[in-house]
Amino acid sequence: MVCERKQCASGDRTGTTALSRVTFTGQHCGYPVGGVVTQQPPKSKTCKRSGCLHRIKYVQKNKEKDSGNMEGAPAKGVLSHLSLLEVKARSRKTQLQQQSRVMELKAKVEALKTQREQLKAQIQTHQDLQKLRLAMDKQCADEEEENMEEESENSKLLRLMARHTQLKDLLHAHHLIGGYDIIKTRKGKGACVSIATAYEDVFLDTFNLEIDLKPTVKISRHNIPPFIPLNNLAEQNNMQTDLRVFLDTLSKHLNAFAGRKQQLKLVKEKHKSVEVMESNVLCSLLVLLFTVPREKTAVLCTLDYTDHTRCLPTRVHLESEDKQLPDSPQWKKNCTLLMETPVHKALITMKKMGSIA
Amino acid sequence: MDNTVKRLLERLVRRIPSRMLKTTLDKWSRLTATQRQSIDYTESKWALTEKLLAICEVFGCSLTVLVSPWFHTDVIENPNLGMWHAFQLMDPQDDAHSVELTQFKEQFKSHLSELIRHVSIKIKKHTDEAVWIRIAWGDTFSRPNHLKPTYVVHYLQTPYVFLSSLTSKQKPLLSQALVLSTRYQAIKDANLSGRKLTAIRDLLMKQYLQVFPTKFPSPLAERNRVVSNLHIEKEQAGSAANRHQMACEAFGDGLLPQLQSAVYKLETKFRDHTNKTMTERDEPFRCVVKFASTNLLESLRHSASSGVASTPVTPLLSSVPLKGKNYFVITDNGPGPSSQK
Repeated sequence: MVCERKQCASGDRTGTTALSRVTFTGQHCGYPVGGVVTQQPPKSKTCKRSGCLHRIKYVQKNKEKDSGNMEGAPAKGVLSHLSLLEVKARSRKTQLQQQSRVMELKAKVEALKTQREQLKAQIQTHQDLQKLRLAMDKQCADEEEENMEEESENSKLLRLMARHTQLKDLLHAHHLIGGYDIIKTRKGKGACVSIATAYEDVFLDTFNLEIDLKPTVKISRHNIPPFIPLNNLAEQNNMQTDLRVFLDTLSKHLNAFAGRKQQLKLVKEKHKSVEVMESNVLCSLLVLLFTVPREKTAVLCTLDYTDHTRCLPTRVHLESEDKQLPDSPQWKKNCTLLMETPVHKALITMKKMGSIA
Repeated sequence: MDNTVKRLLERLVRRIPSRMLKTTLDKWSRLTATQRQSIDYTESKWALTEKLLAICEVFGCSLTVLVSPWFHTDVIENPNLGMWHAFQLMDPQDDAHSVELTQFKEQFKSHLSELIRHVSIKIKKHTDEAVWIRIAWGDTFSRPNHLKPTYVVHYLQTPYVFLSSLTSKQKPLLSQALVLSTRYQAIKDANLSGRKLTAIRDLLMKQYLQVFPTKFPSPLAERNRVVSNLHIEKEQAGSAANRHQMACEAFGDGLLPQLQSAVYKLETKFRDHTNKTMTERDEPFRCVVKFASTNLLESLRHSASSGVASTPVTPLLSSVPLKGKNYFVITDNGPGPSSQK
């Protein structure tokens, strides 16, 4: 049962009764149980205070309060010893608190003051940076020459910081429109590039490259599939000196591959009447089998995507049992259509015009 | 019907698990519908084989007929029988990227038939763009042995070839045929082998989930996280998350390709000052260390994230997924593993 008294803390506070050679403490509610106690433990009583439900327990206690009950500890156990120590520590704290509290508060005031000064300085720098950024952005827009006047160390540093934030914002914007993104790794010794691919306003896979910057620019890790000639591109575009050109070319290759792959997926999903006879992992070759409605003749269409940076084929070849079919004006038009429109869209048009089933 | 055909049929039926037997036989177009219905699938496999042999006797099943549709179910459905070894094609010529299937098929068949007279080659393209080749080898005097075929898997426009059951005598012949038909200049051992074809393929083609450093590495913490012990959480959470991140960056996230072993062949000098006799020797200390597991990469990742292996992960271990190898020769020359093969 729980005592309903406000200050009652479930009876773990000892209250001492009058001292005698052997004292018994009444334990409960922090209130001393009245009366002198004899050598023998009194009969257990119930507290008479209204609302309190505790029974008074009489426990033998040694004369010296601070001895810590050493001999009693093995008899009572380690945990009770620990709880006694805890009580003592608490009582000590309350005594010292008054003196150290003032010192503590004074030290805190000092710390807060220095923090305030720091924050004020930061705000000032930030405001200066903002002004400088606005000026720099305007300069870039107007294409004026920067004035190379004598600048103090501080303003040079500020200019550098402003340029840094400008570049970071540019990079973030580039990432948002679907370009690649770079972050620093290993404390500036490396960088990680993530190239996003997208086709027809849908984001597709993201490819990553981890590059070592020191001592030479080298690719250490990547998840680009092996049919994209990464090492060739790195050599051809001179990755050491012009990282940006290399990344742009790689991004083109990857985006084109993702686009072709997506086109193949859409053809398989949306045009079940067209059979995909051949394709490959790079999606640089596609052979489709069309059926002409009514006559039921088969037309084999080969799409060669030899330029791996484009989503459109470089060559369209038609073959049919009916030898004159590929030369008919309708199919010549279809040929140009397949060269100029992505294949899944071209098929829709061809179906509408009745060329294929 | 001669013995080889009988033995082949028995072997093929034995390899197919009983539950797949019905679906496999249904795919075999040589059996008519009545014949198919007459097969009782509740009988034992031995009885089933006898029944099939009887049917084949009736219309004189020849070897080629038996082989062609069966090899599809034999190995393609069960690609985890036997060891697969990865090889890499080197130095592509200019037209290597435009090799297409029919060209490759013709070239491969003609080159291999030129090199060895009696050989049976079957090439088939799987739906995931993999080209499967089944080769039964014979020699100048004997017919092709269909009981020990070699399987080759290749994805066009990639430099990797996966081989299974190839003897050292057959290797140079096959290598030459592959190099010529894929328009590369050389082929070398990729030092990767495993029981599961899909695992070594995924590792080399980078088709598993890799983890890279990003701007926001850890997901947002949930609001009402249930924490078993606040003290442990306070001390260990940070370092545990760090270790987990490094382990995932080294090995990958999610399901990892199932490799069975990694072998390190050491050819380094013995370095222990307490053992003078060994350190005084001039020759390198030859030692082979082998790690084996049902899923090696998973165990390595777990040992790194739980703290058993120190993080950052040593390049010796992280080279397995990074370089796509599980056989390394380590010499004293450079830091980290260098393969001489």
